[in-house]
Amino acid sequence: MGVTGIDRRQFLVAASGSLGLGLLSACGSSSSSPSPSASKRPALSAEPGNLSILEWPGYEAAGTKAQTYGLLAGTEYTKKYGPSGITYTYIVNDDEALAKATSGGPFDIMHPCHENIPDYVNRGLVQPWDTSLIPSFKQLNPYLVRATQYHGKQYHIPWDWGYGSLLYRKDKVAPADATGWELAWNPKYTGKISLWNGASTNFEIAALKLGYPQMDSLSTSQLASAKQALITQKPLNKLYWGSEYTQEQPNFKSGEVWINYAWQDSLVSMTKAGLPAGFLQPSQGRLSWICGFMLGAQTKNYYHAHAYVESYINHLAAAQMTNLFYYGNSNATVTGADIKDATLVKALELGNPQAVTTAPNHLQSWSPNRPALELAWQEILAA
Amino acid sequence: MDVPGVATGGLARRRPRVRVVRLRIGRGTLVIPPLGIVLLVLVGPIVLLALYSVNLRTNIPGTPTAFSGANWKDFLTGSANPFRERFFYSMKITLLVSISATAAAYPLAYYLAFIARRFRYTLLLVLIAPFFTSYLLRIIAWTDIVLNNNGIVNQTLWDAHLRAHGNGISWLLYSNFSIFLVLFYAWIPFVSLPIFAVLENMDHQLIEAAADLGASRFKAFWTVTFPMSLPGVIAAFVFVLIPTTGEFIAPLYVGGPNNQLFGNEIQAFFGDSPNWNYGAVLAVALIVVVLVLMLLFGRFLNTDLRTQRGER
Repeated sequence: MGVTGIDRRQFLVAASGSLGLGLLSACGSSSSSPSPSASKRPALSAEPGNLSILEWPGYEAAGTKAQTYGLLAGTEYTKKYGPSGITYTYIVNDDEALAKATSGGPFDIMHPCHENIPDYVNRGLVQPWDTSLIPSFKQLNPYLVRATQYHGKQYHIPWDWGYGSLLYRKDKVAPADATGWELAWNPKYTGKISLWNGASTNFEIAALKLGYPQMDSLSTSQLASAKQALITQKPLNKLYWGSEYTQEQPNFKSGEVWINYAWQDSLVSMTKAGLPAGFLQPSQGRLSWICGFMLGAQTKNYYHAHAYVESYINHLAAAQMTNLFYYGNSNATVTGADIKDATLVKALELGNPQAVTTAPNHLQSWSPNRPALELAWQEILAA
Repeated sequence: MDVPGVATGGLARRRPRVRVVRLRIGRGTLVIPPLGIVLLVLVGPIVLLALYSVNLRTNIPGTPTAFSGANWKDFLTGSANPFRERFFYSMKITLLVSISATAAAYPLAYYLAFIARRFRYTLLLVLIAPFFTSYLLRIIAWTDIVLNNNGIVNQTLWDAHLRAHGNGISWLLYSNFSIFLVLFYAWIPFVSLPIFAVLENMDHQLIEAAADLGASRFKAFWTVTFPMSLPGVIAAFVFVLIPTTGEFIAPLYVGGPNNQLFGNEIQAFFGDSPNWNYGAVLAVALIVVVLVLMLLFGRFLNTDLRTQRGER
């Protein structure tokens, strides 16, 4: 698959999608009202301005020493308030993020994916955003905005989104085998498969493979079946990868593995590296995800936090993030015309604003039996 | 020499008696600050872990706490408990690494102590030089440069036409072999140090005496050198055994799904999965095992060292 510019048809599809999003966002956006304690809150100038942020590596604000990937998001914030007051604590998956948010905080801003919102709210770790303080909030994809509300409040500002599926080597995997999630269970590829070291994601994959479309609300017996399926699948794995950039992509590139659980950005990266990579469209549907920002319940930097998020979700910052990391972004004004890579526009289905939230994609959602699932995952790892 | 305040002979009689008030600080008093730190940062967390393990504390806000030995019961007596089985698997790997590293370190230490002569400290420095680099970086180097599909080993085999290009050895990485290799590499220089120290301080006249009495070089080694070096050997063995019992970094980077060690299970319970209560059971169990090992081997070690000192 070569890298080409966007063609006229793709541009029109993306542009029409963007227009639709614009209309939807005009009538569908939500605005949480400020909390009752707003009047008691110190003004921005009286805040310490020392933001403590729980973040994925690579998403640090431009202008900070920690940002080495070339991301421009955060530029407005660091220009206005300076980069020195920001400190980052890093996470590699959502389970770890919740554990750190619970025990390692308090943080001013956290960056979990939306399926964790109830856990953060119910543990008293977060408070709703005042969306009127974030000018670009009105530009956000309303489907993503709605998906990230909880109890009618905007606890989560969506920013990055994407799909999860199996990335596979087209020259190594027979087309007849690349039809569904069962590819990860195909003994023909023993030792050449690598799933992610993420409890909930792997249970979702197992659930879809077993034909349980309600992948995040498994009954006890379904959970047991999914666990057994993952135990059966375990010996086929070369490794459960933990880091996208130091394990998942390098192992795929070196030929150590041929079939990876991955996000669509890996498809673009591997294609650019000259590898014949395919991003599986499973018969059961792909996984999809939305991540974004949550506001710490105990933050002393209420207004700084809102300014920080604004500097991430605005049009320019969001578009640059997509071009840099190949993830989707929540700003509906970013269209295919803003994206440099046609492969990416296609992989993200940028013309369809509902793509990430509707079938055939399965939006990863909150699991009511998370503790049981996590213990089961530990048992799979130890088995 | 006259010491002020100390009554000595006639001089003291001529001088008026002055009562000197001294602040008597017992030698044990100096131990209090470090002891306090140890209690605070070592014993304190262990106590906390113990409380978590019996459900008297929780890391999840809003979760009720009440004494429960259910996690302990599950770990110790649960039918085919995977964590218990993982513990025994880990101990096998740990023992294999400890025995191998100690055995391999012995000739190294012997060479440095008896053969290298004036170059021994230079060679020792060369030996430990790579270890001035971060442990994590060295593990990543093993992964990315040496063992992976495009690493030095497979590239060499391909260049020598011993394997088809692109077809690497599958067990080189993410396997028991890679965990063993990396741990072996990581510990061998440190393991050689206590053996070297004992061999270097050994009374060489004893070996000469054995030779004078007609012992062959091997017999002299086996009956004189080796027994006298046993404290160093045991120290070396303990040196690698204790830390590798809780190792998790190497298996995390070079181990596959089936090769993770007990330390990885503990790390996962505290890092990825917010179930500190079960993780605490595993952690406390490991601490108990390590303490038993220390008591066991420490006793042998002390006895042998005292004996050796007495013989001199």
